[in-house]
Amino acid sequence: MNLNFSGAVISQAVASGIMLGGLFALISIGLTLIWGVMKIINFAQGEFLMVALYLAYFLVAWGHIDPYITILVTVPFMFFFGIGIFRITISPILKDPVMNQIMLTLGVSLILQNLALVLFSANVESVRTRYSTWNFDIGPVVISVPQLIALIGSVICTVAVWYYLKTTDSGRAIRASAQNPTAATLMGIDVPRTYLLAFGLGSATLGLAGSLMIPFYYTSPTVGLFLGLIMFIVVVLGGMGNLMGCFVGGLVIGLAETVGSAVFPGSLARVFTFVIFIVFLLFRPQGVLSRRQS
Amino acid sequence: MTAMLEVRGLTRRFGGLVAVNDLSFELNEGEIVGLIGPNGSGKTTTFSMLSGALRPSAGSITFNGERIDGLKANRVCHKGLARTFQVVQPFPDITACENVMIGAFANTGSGQEAEKVARERLEQVGLTPKAETLAKELTLLQLKRLEIAKALATNPKLLLLDEVAAGLTPTEVDVVLDLVNQLHSEGITFIIVEHVMRFVMNLSHRCIVIDFGSLIAEGTPEEVLNNPAVHAAYLGEEASIA
Amino acid sequence: MSVKMPYIRILIVGALICLLPLVLDTYYMHIAILVLIWAFLACAWNIIGGYAGQHSLGNGLYMGIGAYSVAYLTNRFDLTPWVGLVVAIVLSAAAAAFIGWIVFRYALKGAYFALVTIALTEAAVYIVSNIPALGGAGGMQMEYRGNSIAYMQFAGKNGYFFGGVILLVFILLLTQWYKRKRFFYQLIAVRENEDAAEALGVDTVKAKIKANVMSGVLCAVGGVFYVQYFLYVGPRSVFGEIVSVQILIYAIVGGLGTTWGPVVGAVLLVPLSEIARAQLGNSFQGAHLLIYGAVMVLTMLFMPFGIMGAVDRLRQRWQHRSATPLVDSQGGEAS
Repeated sequence: MNLNFSGAVISQAVASGIMLGGLFALISIGLTLIWGVMKIINFAQGEFLMVALYLAYFLVAWGHIDPYITILVTVPFMFFFGIGIFRITISPILKDPVMNQIMLTLGVSLILQNLALVLFSANVESVRTRYSTWNFDIGPVVISVPQLIALIGSVICTVAVWYYLKTTDSGRAIRASAQNPTAATLMGIDVPRTYLLAFGLGSATLGLAGSLMIPFYYTSPTVGLFLGLIMFIVVVLGGMGNLMGCFVGGLVIGLAETVGSAVFPGSLARVFTFVIFIVFLLFRPQGVLSRRQS
Repeated sequence: MTAMLEVRGLTRRFGGLVAVNDLSFELNEGEIVGLIGPNGSGKTTTFSMLSGALRPSAGSITFNGERIDGLKANRVCHKGLARTFQVVQPFPDITACENVMIGAFANTGSGQEAEKVARERLEQVGLTPKAETLAKELTLLQLKRLEIAKALATNPKLLLLDEVAAGLTPTEVDVVLDLVNQLHSEGITFIIVEHVMRFVMNLSHRCIVIDFGSLIAEGTPEEVLNNPAVHAAYLGEEASIA
Repeated sequence: MSVKMPYIRILIVGALICLLPLVLDTYYMHIAILVLIWAFLACAWNIIGGYAGQHSLGNGLYMGIGAYSVAYLTNRFDLTPWVGLVVAIVLSAAAAAFIGWIVFRYALKGAYFALVTIALTEAAVYIVSNIPALGGAGGMQMEYRGNSIAYMQFAGKNGYFFGGVILLVFILLLTQWYKRKRFFYQLIAVRENEDAAEALGVDTVKAKIKANVMSGVLCAVGGVFYVQYFLYVGPRSVFGEIVSVQILIYAIVGGLGTTWGPVVGAVLLVPLSEIARAQLGNSFQGAHLLIYGAVMVLTMLFMPFGIMGAVDRLRQRWQHRSATPLVDSQGGEAS
């Protein structure tokens, strides 16, 4: 272990960790919404993000569109993409045992992953934009501007989704359906349509994430594997359906990753993250901020 | 004669809510005791504590001289205390016979022996024609009988019946009534939780009435029916006179 | 139908399979061996996943323990792989018991359980990749030491083939034998309704741990066979989510909780994937996994009980009454 506890290294790790955490939170909003509302455990969520990343990539690399403008395309695209997948594969088996849904979404994830492999080959693709190398210093710490923008985007998105759920009719319909689908139906809410909406919304946030990420991240067929797992870790930490928890959870894991890399050699840092995950699953599966239900 | 079951100060809290409050009673071997009370009075919670599905927050449960409070449900079952569930809990994707075999396996490791016991118990509850039917295809009455057969297969000395007559037609209630009487004559002690008054009145030697988790009356069915405190507890609620 | 029928059936099928080397050439023998390995692993998974109903998504962990134990001990200490086999069994049993104890004590179920198992097997990838003694990210190569049972290595395909048949027949016989025992009934009870099982005296935690150990040990044995055949093992060839998912795809498509289901699944899907890989592999990498994904989705949508599961259900409708032995919807009376 390279115990390099110099102040500079630590502050950089913390700063990077916060920004990485913001990113992790952003990509997890969708899953916490979907899992929290529909109790659907979408193992293909990581691959959805992969789709968004590829879309953003192609728009920027080939279309020469400014990454932040691509949001106008990626978000609606992912919304309908999510709805499409939901309609075709998930909604027929909503009433089936949870494990069937998990297997199904695993299948979807395999399809998406390998479709990407077949179409785009295994190359890791990334694109330079005028934002990519833009950074500034705060003391010893280097802040990358696109990452900072992603962090800000994450905060805005979290607040926006929270606001939407709290104040709009459809948002409240989503919350009602999440708490008690039967009661919601009895109150006149079209629960299946609400599920569709929630799933679309959850997928749309990934569109935003993809666009915000492409200036500094990469895309590849397997990018969804790791990021997907991170999403699950963050959501378990934060509590299903808990947006604030999702943000906090993202920060915790982001910091764990960067601080872990500073301390542990090689890819061993990742194990640290998994350990946290397992511990939480065992002892506090309802998340960091949720109140314990007896 | 020491009581078969001694419950002292049994209490269960859920956060701020006290579901069962300092409940104490005794049960002698061979009795049929009715545990009655309005909805939400804590009857099923009491059962759950007796059978080990829930831990008491306080109090003691002594069964045949042994403390069983805090033991897990499967250990309690091995001690000779079995229960049925208010909402029937079959094993849906296996046959009725296999359902009962699971219970029989509590006392034997042999598949053959378990099957023999299972078929005997199925015969006892009158389910032999349905032995090879999947549990998910049985009617409610059949499932209730299955529920009893499963519990019986574990060879209990004390059987807790949780609202076994609920949802049944009067004729069906009679069927279950006869079954319980028959089992009783074979030496099984019962505690029944029931809303169907006819069931309780006809079967119980003694009734215990609880409300808001506390004991409010105890006595023979007639005594209890005429007890003003019991009336007050049920006030506004019509106990079904099936 | 005598009670012995299922056993006889297994042995007959085993004997028939043994005729295959007469008709298959080397390439197809290779596929056949793969089918045997994966069928064996899928049967092993079936115990915890199908009978006990705990869908572990991380059984690759135990397969890896088996493979790496043997590879390491044989390479480093020049020991015969049979010693490695014993070590593999002990280690995997310990790991499965430990993991099972922690996980099931805390009553992790369904998705949470699945996630933990994924985390464990993925963590294993990273851990092993960082241990130079185990070959790091590049994995370990094993030397070919000659054609002999002592080395668990054979010159041609036949040796491995018959070894695979023995393993598969063994696990099928084992599964069949356990089907009438208390242990499997208790597993099924746990799967169908854990609370009811507890109320009937089943120690559900112990049962699940036992199932996990049984599954884990058998997966480790599969891992040993795997590494002896391929003479190579790398972190992602045994650990990691994808391998574990592959194992359970065969079991699920073939029919969870049935004796023959995992075999049927492997027989159908493994050749499919190998041929896809051979024909399209160069131009379309990943085509075989794409097919698996599609098969999985279609199975969940249209045939969630798998092929043998559907067969059993049809058979049940046909013969509503049967004398003995019992008809069990998930297992069939003798399938």
